[in-house]
Amino acid sequence: MNELPPSNLAFLFAAFALTWVIFFAYAFFLSRRREELQREIRELRETAEGSEGQGGDGNEGD
Amino acid sequence: MATGISRGVPLFSVSKGLALLGAALMVVNVYLIFMVAPTDAVLGDVQRVFYFHVPLAIMSFVAFAVVFVASIVYLTRRNAAWDRLAHAAGEVGLVFVSLALVTGIVWARPVWGVWWTWEPRLTTTLILWLIYAGYLIIRNYAPNRERGSVYAAVVGIIGFVDVPIVYYSVQWWRSIHPSAVIGPLAEPGSLEPVMQTILLFSFAVFFVLFLYLVVERAAVRRAEDEIRMLRLAALNAGP
Repeated sequence: MNELPPSNLAFLFAAFALTWVIFFAYAFFLSRRREELQREIRELRETAEGSEGQGGDGNEGD
Repeated sequence: MATGISRGVPLFSVSKGLALLGAALMVVNVYLIFMVAPTDAVLGDVQRVFYFHVPLAIMSFVAFAVVFVASIVYLTRRNAAWDRLAHAAGEVGLVFVSLALVTGIVWARPVWGVWWTWEPRLTTTLILWLIYAGYLIIRNYAPNRERGSVYAAVVGIIGFVDVPIVYYSVQWWRSIHPSAVIGPLAEPGSLEPVMQTILLFSFAVFFVLFLYLVVERAAVRRAEDEIRMLRLAALNAGP
């Protein structure tokens, strides 16, 4: 009499798997992008500091 | 040497803390969803999608509410920090509403027999997705960064009108979508107490993950702004 409802486990798996894949892909993308940008900031600061130092030496020399 | 340390990435940042907390809570959440939550008598196991689908949808509403408030404050004060917050919340909100749509589509196929139907809740949610996709696109196509922020703020304020429309759509129009289980439209006792507890826990988990993504995205935007300033300073300094 009491028929069990279908499990539809494939759909259940698909829903959770898609959520995780999209979520982790986005989180990974953000993490990578943040690291790249921080590295770029360090390089730009070092370049700026280097050129400031060179400029200062040059002025002293003149 | 000291300069490198002071400018380095902190070993334990807010975002890392939120990520660890979110991951730990999610493990518990998955256990509760699959091992503790009872199987729905009508829909079967596929109903468990609901513990992800509903929090994702509600968290996207929270994200767009943040965009709405931050956009108003940005337009009145013109402080870039509010624009960064709005930008971050808008992008994370779009990810969450995309996930809500995807999980809804996968749930609809076995339950309704179709992947998609143009019923009010789905249609208004798709419109919400398009509004906030436009919100992000407009930032990139504006003549300059500041104008893009202003245009986006206007879209973020007007676009928020669709959020209550999505929520009330099941009441205002004839809809086959299940009725609300949270908020003013939720009927008391519409969920079993154990299901309600697990749903609330799932909300808390997704809220932590939402905070993590917003903090991370805002940090990316702050770094982008800093690079722009550094390049501008280098150009002004000349050769």
